[in-house]
Amino acid sequence: MTMKIVSKNRLLVGTAVLTLISAGLYGCKDFLSTNSVPQGTLDAGTLSSKAGVEGTLIGAYRALDCTNNTSGPGWGCAASNWVFGSVAADDSYKGSTKDDQPPINDIEGYHWGAPKGQDYINQKWTLTYEGVVRANSALRLLKKVVASSPSEFSTADAHAVEGEALFLRAHYHFEAYRMWGNIPYYREDETDFRKANETSTEAAADIIKDLDAAIALLPTTPRSKGRASQWTAKAYKGRVQVYAGQYAAAVTTLQDVKTNGPYALEKSYDRVWTGFNQFADGPETILAYQASSNDGEPNGNNANFGERLNFPYYTHFGCCGFNQPSQNLVNFYKVDAAGLPLSLSDPANWNSSDANFTSANTALVDPRLDWTVGREGVPYKDWGLYNSNMVRDPGNGGPYSPKKNAHEEASGSEQLAGGWSPTQQNSVHMHLYRFADLLLLLAEAQVEGGDLNGAMANVNLVRARADSTAQGCGFRPTDASIVIPDSSAYPGCVGDKRIAVPTNDPSIKWATYKVSQYTSFPSQAYAREAVRTERRLELAMEGQRLFDLRRWGLAYAAAAINGYINGEGGGAEKTRIAYKATADVFAQKHLLFPIPYLQVELSKTGTTQNLKQNTGW
Amino acid sequence: MFANRRKTMEKNLSGKTSFRNRGWRGLSAVLVSLLFALVLSGTAFGQNIVVTGTVTSTGGAPLQGVTVRVQGTDTRATTDASGKYRISAPGDAVLNFSVLGQRPVQTTVAGRNTVDVTMANITYLEQVLVTAYTEQRRGDITGAISSVDIAQAQKQTGASVLQRLDVAVPGVTVVSSGSPGSRSTVRIRGVSSFQNNDPLYVIDGTPVEESYLNFLNPNDITSVQVLKDASASSIYGSRASNGVIVIETTKKGIQGPPQVTLRVRSGVASPVKGYNDILLTNSLDYFKVLRASYQNAGLKTPTNIYGDSLNPSIPQYIYAAGSTRPAVGGLDQYGRPINVNTAAYSYPNALIMPGSAGTDWWGAVFGTAPVGDYNLDVNGGSDANAYRVSFNYFHQGGTAIYNDFKRGSIRANTQFNRGMFNFGENVALSYERHYGGLPDDPGGYAEDGILGKNILMQPVIPIYDINGNFAGGKSTGLGNQGNPVKYAFEHKDDIQKNLNIFGNAFAGLDLTPAISLKTRLGFNTGQNAFAGFTPPSPEVAEATFNNQIDENTTQFLDWTWSNTARFVKALGSHNFDFLLGQEANQATNHNIAGSLQNLVNTGVDSRYIQNALGGKKDVSSTGSKSALLSLFGKADYNYAEKYVASFTVRRDGSSRLAPGHQWGTFPAFGLGWRLTNEPFFSGNKYFSDVMLRYGVGVTGNQLIPSGRIVAQFGGDLGETYYDVTGSGSTIATGYRQTSIGNPDLKWEENKSTNVGADMVLFNGAINLVVDVYRRNTNNLLFDPALPATAGLSSPPIINVGKMRNTGIDFSVGHQAAFWNVTLNGSHYHNEIVSIDGFQTFFYGPISTRFGNQVINEIGHPIGSFYGFIADGFFRDAADVAAHAKQDGAAPGRIKFRDVNGDGVVDNNDRTIIGSPHPKFTAGLDLGARRGNFDVSATVFGTYGNKIFENQMEFYVFREFETNVRNDLLANSWTPTNLNAKYPRLDVSDGNSSTISSFYVKDGSYTRLRNMQIGYTLPSTAQYLPGARVYLQGDNLFTKTNYDGLDPALPAANTFGPAGDVRDQYRGVDRGSYPSNRVFSVGVVTSF
Repeated sequence: MTMKIVSKNRLLVGTAVLTLISAGLYGCKDFLSTNSVPQGTLDAGTLSSKAGVEGTLIGAYRALDCTNNTSGPGWGCAASNWVFGSVAADDSYKGSTKDDQPPINDIEGYHWGAPKGQDYINQKWTLTYEGVVRANSALRLLKKVVASSPSEFSTADAHAVEGEALFLRAHYHFEAYRMWGNIPYYREDETDFRKANETSTEAAADIIKDLDAAIALLPTTPRSKGRASQWTAKAYKGRVQVYAGQYAAAVTTLQDVKTNGPYALEKSYDRVWTGFNQFADGPETILAYQASSNDGEPNGNNANFGERLNFPYYTHFGCCGFNQPSQNLVNFYKVDAAGLPLSLSDPANWNSSDANFTSANTALVDPRLDWTVGREGVPYKDWGLYNSNMVRDPGNGGPYSPKKNAHEEASGSEQLAGGWSPTQQNSVHMHLYRFADLLLLLAEAQVEGGDLNGAMANVNLVRARADSTAQGCGFRPTDASIVIPDSSAYPGCVGDKRIAVPTNDPSIKWATYKVSQYTSFPSQAYAREAVRTERRLELAMEGQRLFDLRRWGLAYAAAAINGYINGEGGGAEKTRIAYKATADVFAQKHLLFPIPYLQVELSKTGTTQNLKQNTGW
Repeated sequence: MFANRRKTMEKNLSGKTSFRNRGWRGLSAVLVSLLFALVLSGTAFGQNIVVTGTVTSTGGAPLQGVTVRVQGTDTRATTDASGKYRISAPGDAVLNFSVLGQRPVQTTVAGRNTVDVTMANITYLEQVLVTAYTEQRRGDITGAISSVDIAQAQKQTGASVLQRLDVAVPGVTVVSSGSPGSRSTVRIRGVSSFQNNDPLYVIDGTPVEESYLNFLNPNDITSVQVLKDASASSIYGSRASNGVIVIETTKKGIQGPPQVTLRVRSGVASPVKGYNDILLTNSLDYFKVLRASYQNAGLKTPTNIYGDSLNPSIPQYIYAAGSTRPAVGGLDQYGRPINVNTAAYSYPNALIMPGSAGTDWWGAVFGTAPVGDYNLDVNGGSDANAYRVSFNYFHQGGTAIYNDFKRGSIRANTQFNRGMFNFGENVALSYERHYGGLPDDPGGYAEDGILGKNILMQPVIPIYDINGNFAGGKSTGLGNQGNPVKYAFEHKDDIQKNLNIFGNAFAGLDLTPAISLKTRLGFNTGQNAFAGFTPPSPEVAEATFNNQIDENTTQFLDWTWSNTARFVKALGSHNFDFLLGQEANQATNHNIAGSLQNLVNTGVDSRYIQNALGGKKDVSSTGSKSALLSLFGKADYNYAEKYVASFTVRRDGSSRLAPGHQWGTFPAFGLGWRLTNEPFFSGNKYFSDVMLRYGVGVTGNQLIPSGRIVAQFGGDLGETYYDVTGSGSTIATGYRQTSIGNPDLKWEENKSTNVGADMVLFNGAINLVVDVYRRNTNNLLFDPALPATAGLSSPPIINVGKMRNTGIDFSVGHQAAFWNVTLNGSHYHNEIVSIDGFQTFFYGPISTRFGNQVINEIGHPIGSFYGFIADGFFRDAADVAAHAKQDGAAPGRIKFRDVNGDGVVDNNDRTIIGSPHPKFTAGLDLGARRGNFDVSATVFGTYGNKIFENQMEFYVFREFETNVRNDLLANSWTPTNLNAKYPRLDVSDGNSSTISSFYVKDGSYTRLRNMQIGYTLPSTAQYLPGARVYLQGDNLFTKTNYDGLDPALPAANTFGPAGDVRDQYRGVDRGSYPSNRVFSVGVVTSF
């Protein structure tokens, strides 16, 4: 009896177990594969459509400034290059406190091989090549979609997408080129991410090649305001040619853009960097990062991410007080009685003032000073009067604040909510290339080609515009919680909301502006210096200066930088800002940044370092 | 009829019990006699008499807690502290004596009134362990398995049983913080992977992947076995490469009426050390450091806070309402606000903060906290069923204010036996609530939160402003930290809630004495929810005026269904034990996260994500899915108790790996030789029992995120979306590749070889276990960085890394009649053998403000410290000139070694400057008893590990103008103090703070982890008869040279794109929540 039950059970259970095991094995394949699908992501197939291609191209534009993913150790990713172009040159100090963002201390001190500084340099490299990768993704995907479903794209659209992507690829490589010179060049079909770098000459040729291809494909008017057109690419090509020293070709290219292209100077200087959206992407804009605020992204990450540290500190903005204009830069805006730069007519003394250049100073100045620098007693756009107490640590960063990137209160471009310090976030477009820059590049090429009159004409165009308007009262439209007194200092300003006024407007009590045009360029040397001076005056604090200095050769760059620190025009930064004394001497190796050590290491295959480090690093 | 049925049942049950508990070796003589006794007891009836007696061990020590049962009845008694018992039994009854760790004894009363019994120790090799899917006698195990003395492990005040495993098991390290409910990072025999190295926890047969294990009430645990090598763990195949910890909660119900045990413990915790022991708490003392830093730099000392540098004073106000200071009647000659119009105060735009003569920030945040643990369990049953139900309430207050952890749990374990069938379930329901915004082991910069740099606020900053709102460092020179008291207060309603239902249902069939089948469905399901609040901070240097709430909820379900068949047979001296099994596992989770900014009302009752309640909403969800399928088998063979061989093989399929590579096979082989059973060895007077073991095997690892076989694309509003139309406020959709797939993803393999010996020496006086091992990880799964030219998408997870661990574990114990001692020791060496075939190193996952101090380099241990070698300080200008060119070199600054001798100190001179891995760890357990008193102590030590004291960035180098160490001024370099502890105070010295060996400290420590003194009340006591009361102290004493806060650092909560990478970032002191010193009192009583 017992045995029978056991046998019966054995049979039953045996069958059950076998059934279970076979059911399990049968289910194997499906069970594992259905559980292997990634959750909540897109796959390559889904993006193989027109929308996918266009979206991928949008992603490529987005890499023009820092993204969520690159904000990591700091602001090396900023579209404007303010760290590398302005702080590492003679435009500005790091600012803030000595302890904040220590990598910038290394960049500012020319210790570019130091570990902290490397963090920033690596960040620039990373975002630059992310831009290349995104542009190449768009090109690859476009090819795939056009081949597999030809009806998705009209020829015009396919050409425009390809042209824009090629243009962006050229732009990103140009950013790498002017940082590091000898860079690897990546096209859409390449998969070896450890390949060797090219020489800077080869890189420039490759950039121009991509720009030529883009010029052939792009429409003459951009598909939308933020996009590249044929003229964008042509203008950019001229820029690259100037950097590459191809002056004759540059003159041809840039003259064509000037004559036949859609670009013109803004009437008023304050319309270049502005939070008023109706003035954004005006005639002067060739390429700008299209910052946006209150756009649905909760933390304002598409706003002026790269510039968000660069505001007066103790104000509405709350933080952070970086990128403070140097005393040298402020002095540089002095003009002589003729309205020409004092640095040209009085090279021995123009920089002799160490004092805070407040509204009490009656020296004649170029009106661009007060569009570029926040200084004591001068209205700060429409935020009331700037005062030196707004600085976080004057002993570290001097009394001035940056101004171009700040939005006008009335513009409404400020981020209304969001994570960290939204009051420093705005939709002021960050200019990467503008028509005044183009005119001065053209003038530079003309000088080198011996066309001094042509060069002077272009410089004078820029100076004429500079003379059109100056900072006005900008009485605050809202004054409920005024922290900055307006009315007591300049009673005539009460109710005067004008941000820009004629340079001789009677309301101006804080400065005496004068800027006039050159009447002759007596020599090539004079012309060269005049053009270079004009570039600094016009483009100061826009992250261009170090790249300009390096383009003008070791002798010029070293004289400028070392003079800036140790003494030029009667003044020296090392006596004004204590830490400047520890700066390294600007030398040959500083003509290029070191390729990030990390990237050199990552480029190794076996023991071969494929990325060759720049000489001296 | 009834009696017969019952006897049949008992027979079956006994048969079953025999091979559950005693292995395959047939019915031992003891059991035969027991059966015999059972039959007898069923038919015999006699007059009840009172029997008393004493139970002692072989050494003559009285044994407490021995259960004395009258065979075949529910009558039972327990011995008291002097080993005495009293029971009423028939004159011809059989008495059954049993207690854990001693061989059971049966004896007949035979009319006696006094029955004294001596019980023999179960020798080490006779112990029965619950290991993988089966139970085995230690003498039949060829792998390296350590058992945890569970009673010892339960003597702790943490929420998780894991926190004390390092003392209990050689070869195991555990790190955790003093934060309530914090995670335990358990590592068995080093580190085998760059990714997650958590061991696999198997609780009642159900695998669990998590490292808190707070849902498990330590008092419910009956046994913990640590499977350390492949030969032991490879039956778990795929997930066993970091070792397996097998935890059983199946305390059997005792036959008879319900027995109720109440355990209550209550105490008070405080930090083992505080920053107020090492930092300045007086503002004018701080000024002296400030002044020296400026004077030495040749700069004017700032006067905006302390006024005249020769005659400094505490400012009346450090801050009064913004740059233009409408509330200020003027500034004194030093620029300090005077004649402040306090009526102009308005929050948040016009704050007025007084100066403080000295704020003790640590003291304001940290203090004592209550802890409590309350358990009630009930067990009982009959031959046909057994049950155990337990209730637990656990409370651990944080030593930081507004921070605590509470857990309630209910467990029900039941088992039913019907003939050949047995079935039942073990289910625990637990609910945890963790209040407060203090992450226990933060990732990232770790500057935020209470610890990190916020606790290092300057003493001159007050806690509150003049109107009782929180104050902050809002003037030049006061740093950018947040007020830590405010942080704690504002986050007091932040809550993490975890609800877990964990358990399994099982059924077994004992087909014949030789064949048994078992099926088990294990499940772990629940919900983790977090709600937090971020306040506006107008009072800090980098003011914010926004508020925000965040919520997220994760639901998860993880189930495992396993089916096993076991066959046990003895043929003469040949003994066989076969196990075959099949298992399926699926894990899914779904997370929803949301936030709301600019809440109109920030009250707790308004913290919901709704349009009407605030500004911008942001909501998103994520999820994951993965599965495993397995077949496994195990064959054990034993010849004549002398030679043991075991062979295990498991075949696993993982959904995370690529088609074609999904299945991996993991074999293991072990040999054992019971030397003492050889004729030539028998009767050896030193060696009572010796077994030599050799094991070799392969285990696998597939712990990577699901879905990494294919390329993934996506986008994010702040990363790929762009305003291409220049509208200023609308963005167009953008995409990018977010991760690169690897269609060849395959198993990571861990080959391990273990040679060990188990020895019982001097007639059982000493147990010695020694194991030597080597573990090689091949095809290591991780995501080595690609060059940036490949873009920002997560690099593919590939299988090329290699790592090696070698080491030795030993345990030596002595069990005397009235005292016992066990020493566990271990050493391991970890070495990276290969990374990705290209790189020779890669940096750690976290950078601090001064860069990255961790490197993973071939030939060195994972997570080594990396930087310059600090060679003291420059003596004078001549020393500077004689040294290699170094940026910023000056007398009194740190001199860095020119390692490559090229005459320049630069990046190329950075080198390995220390390892966070200990050279040796040891745990010492001591116990003694005398009369009704018992005392025990546990000591843990770690030696040779280094700590990177990152907090020195702040409290030595004053990055961000933090508070400083109280010995900084006295021990800094001066021309007359050349051999100082710290470099010269110099505000312009930006170089000495560079990452170097100056930050690297010896992290060795020896700590008295636990001490307990108990007293057992006599069974005749009026109150609580037989109860044990005790006093307990945790972390009473620490001996260390480390002068930071606490050398017992937790692992940082660090994630890379491919998951947990905490082993790449260990031993960095970034201000971790210190361990707790706890004094508690407890009582255990049964009725």
